[in-house]
Amino acid sequence: MKLWKSVISCAMGLTLSAGVASADVDFSGQTITVVVPFGEGGGTSQVFGFFRPFLQEYLPGNPLVQLLNVPGGGSIRGANQFHNTQTPDGTYLLATSTSTIVNQAARNPLVEYDLTAYEPVVLLGAETHWFTSASVIDEPYDFAPILERPLALYALNSPSSADLFHVWTFHTLGIEGARPIPGLSSSAGFQAFLRGELQISSHGTSNYLRQVQPGLESGEFMDLMSFGLIQEDGTVARMPYSPDTPTFPEQYERIHGTALAGDQLEAYRSINAIWNQASKAMFLPTGTPDDIVEVWRDAFRAILEDPDFIAQAAEQLGPTDVIIGEAARGIVASASILSDATITQLNEALAANNFTYRIE
Amino acid sequence: MDLFFDVLGALFSFDHFVFLIAGILLGLTVGILPGLGGTTALAILLPFVSAFEPASALALMIGVLAPTTTSDTFPAVLIGVPGTAGSQATVLDGYPMAKRGEAARALSAAFLSSMIGGVWGAIILTFAIVFAKPLILAVGFGEQFLLIVLALIMVGALTGANLVKGLASCLIGLIIGAVGLAQITAEPRLTFGTLYLIEGVPLVVVGMGLFAIPEIVSLLQSKASITEKLQLKGQWLKGFRDVVANWFLVFRCSTIGVIVGALPGLGGTVVDWIAYSHLRQTARDTANIGKGDIRGVIAPESANNAKEGGALIPTILFGIPGSGNKVLLLGGFLLVGIQPGIEMVTTQLDLTYTIIWSLAIANIIGAAICIVLARPMSRITTVPYFILAPVLIALIFFASYQVGRDWNNFAGLMAFGLLGVIMKSYGWSRPALLIGFFLSSKIELLSYQTSAVYGMSFLWRTGSLILIGITVVTLWLLLKQKMGDETQASGRRQQMAQIRVTLGFLILPVAMTMAVAGLDYRSSLYPLGVSAILAVALIVVAFSQIRARSATINGTPLPQNFVMRGVFAQEGDFFPQFKEFANLVLFFLLIVVFGFPIATVIFITTFIGLRSRRHIPLAFGLAIALLSIMWVLASLLTLQYPSGWIATVVDLPWWLSGY
Repeated sequence: MKLWKSVISCAMGLTLSAGVASADVDFSGQTITVVVPFGEGGGTSQVFGFFRPFLQEYLPGNPLVQLLNVPGGGSIRGANQFHNTQTPDGTYLLATSTSTIVNQAARNPLVEYDLTAYEPVVLLGAETHWFTSASVIDEPYDFAPILERPLALYALNSPSSADLFHVWTFHTLGIEGARPIPGLSSSAGFQAFLRGELQISSHGTSNYLRQVQPGLESGEFMDLMSFGLIQEDGTVARMPYSPDTPTFPEQYERIHGTALAGDQLEAYRSINAIWNQASKAMFLPTGTPDDIVEVWRDAFRAILEDPDFIAQAAEQLGPTDVIIGEAARGIVASASILSDATITQLNEALAANNFTYRIE
Repeated sequence: MDLFFDVLGALFSFDHFVFLIAGILLGLTVGILPGLGGTTALAILLPFVSAFEPASALALMIGVLAPTTTSDTFPAVLIGVPGTAGSQATVLDGYPMAKRGEAARALSAAFLSSMIGGVWGAIILTFAIVFAKPLILAVGFGEQFLLIVLALIMVGALTGANLVKGLASCLIGLIIGAVGLAQITAEPRLTFGTLYLIEGVPLVVVGMGLFAIPEIVSLLQSKASITEKLQLKGQWLKGFRDVVANWFLVFRCSTIGVIVGALPGLGGTVVDWIAYSHLRQTARDTANIGKGDIRGVIAPESANNAKEGGALIPTILFGIPGSGNKVLLLGGFLLVGIQPGIEMVTTQLDLTYTIIWSLAIANIIGAAICIVLARPMSRITTVPYFILAPVLIALIFFASYQVGRDWNNFAGLMAFGLLGVIMKSYGWSRPALLIGFFLSSKIELLSYQTSAVYGMSFLWRTGSLILIGITVVTLWLLLKQKMGDETQASGRRQQMAQIRVTLGFLILPVAMTMAVAGLDYRSSLYPLGVSAILAVALIVVAFSQIRARSATINGTPLPQNFVMRGVFAQEGDFFPQFKEFANLVLFFLLIVVFGFPIATVIFITTFIGLRSRRHIPLAFGLAIALLSIMWVLASLLTLQYPSGWIATVVDLPWWLSGY
């Protein structure tokens, strides 16, 4: 609960910008449909399923909120369906996850939707952590022995998924021995890491806290870095729940002797937006009136203050960075539309690892 | 240990217990209906389980699986038709006993030994879980790869009448499973540019197409109610005393059941035969066996329930299914967010305990219900086909649409249904295909992962050597004994049709080869390799069939070896069944026009009405009941039904019109 609050509060700075609620919007007796372009058991359904009862309580008129799962094509089918049937009256929304953004960012030709055209309601962040085993390095956060290894294997689901950012991360750090073993989910990858078949593993926040931290405390695992939490002023902070873990830009500077800058910094910001800041998001259709958008954002703001929510969120969501308001728009834009320089870097990283997949 | 009993307490809490009981009742019902078993029941349930929390969903799914091999004894004993594949051996002695007027004795002995076997399976599973962690950590990429290859070989070799046909069925599954995006390079394979095929046809649709549709179609074709005559005579207590007197046999056969169940790939179809032949080999007086000996009922029945506990070991620990219904159970695990593997014995131990307790309780309650409600339950076997079939058709169409609410699933269902009918009537193994389909992407990835991490050295790891040893020994032991009867197609026309079907399957490897030929080697190597092996296997089958045919024509004796044995085995005639398949197409067209709910009412009432005037009132009652169930479900689970053309013309309520 402490963790949840600490991250919330640092995010609230971003969130309390505009707050002109309208008393005219009332959803009494209406049914609100949130299109979830994933299966019922997936993470996106779980997260927004957790918010659902609170939304029913805090939206004016206490409407019925239902999640409509439209899975298929790595979330393309559902998001396309939303795009082609959107009605901007505040009762039809789209929930997304990193994969939805990656499809657009990687310019998949099947994508018809455009996230930058919608009204962002809320962004829920996540964090990626990397760690290794005590047989690989002696001191936590020390990449030096890994840089010397001929091979350091890590798990990768598919180069066309968000996992391609792992490839960019190790390529940018200059770890030549880092080689992806494809086709492993993060859970399967962690198991292979436990068996000693992989040398580097990664986990998102909740699994990091649940499964990795006990191993870090016992000395079985060694922490390496987190991707980093981008602050409102653009600086990158460590995660409040693991203040000793350096971030990716810190490790970059330690290895290369210079700070992350230029095109690489821009790529980092875009990847951070896709992977971390907009890990889960909710959108209203293009052209939704401002007062309706504000009512939705206010509902989320009020939920974050609800003591019941805070108590349950610590258990159900874990520490989460929340961004509500206009700040979200820039993040969604930097996530969904990658610059040519960023795409070149991603393609170079793919080529260096002998992948044939390219972003075109 | 506290957690172990906490979970038991939680399971008896009202909301979990309701799910468990619902599962048990469904499982008992499908067990009685011949042909329908746990696979079909799970396929129908799967699209809905994700609406429940994991523990409840588990109780429901295990509740369905556990008692099917208890209630399948009703038709096995009363009419001599096994309710599921697990009770084929029960028929041999159970049916003669019923004819002698000892049905009640056979049933009560069967239920009690089923219960004991099932509980014993749960106990062994508990111990396996306690010692599982080091085992899981010892099984790396190489061992997993071998486990799957061995599972495929065993299921292919043992589930069909013919060894090569069984292996070819596995390979067909592997090829179909390779359709979609190649995981490593993200290139599409054989998708015809469609979004639907990128993720492949959903598992549930494949499962229902392969297993439910062929059974419904042959039900329609046989046009019989499942049974006419019914005799529940005899002494119930005598059966219990038989079990107590043969306690050591129950113990041995239960243990055999657990071990055979735990071997990946073996699963349910052979365990009853293994127990039965164990009885024949060890019994002192074998004179009566096969003519109505109570031990011939006790042996297979204690084994076929015990196998569930064993089969859950590779399922939970490695995600490798032992049988068709475990494939769907794993699909259900993924839907509710459960990953098989190390987490099941560490952070998610509570869920594993839920599975174990559900298994034990479902076996006990299932057997108790069978004993207490024997008379009304045996009457389920008298439901006429013209009531059962249309309801089942509506149910599977409904369930397959719910997977992703996609019209394409209807096409997938009918395509795999047709494939299932062909495979069933011409003696190809459907469980082998389903397991191959499910494991295809896993085996492809594991081959890359293994070669990246180990190269070929993985073969010399201790675990690998043990696994290879186990397979060789099991295969040798099992192939030595001939299991079950084999029916050979006698007519020349049927033999020609068989050969044509064999050659027709060659389309698959050819199409796949053409589709992947130009791709990067990391996308094409696996499908090309599997295609090549499949082509060889099909040519071997075709060659053996041609040889067997000329032997029958010339009247020369057939060489009896693994390749030739049962090469013409088949189940029923294809063409009469194919005609009944038209009912499914008809129903689909009704949905296109009227939308699902209205089409269901029209289909069921006309189907029943045309065949029996007497049942017209019942037909309407049924239709109204289904309509209300759909309405309630629509509101509770926010379901949408496929809406038809009519919804664009007439204004309908939202749940009828799709929005």
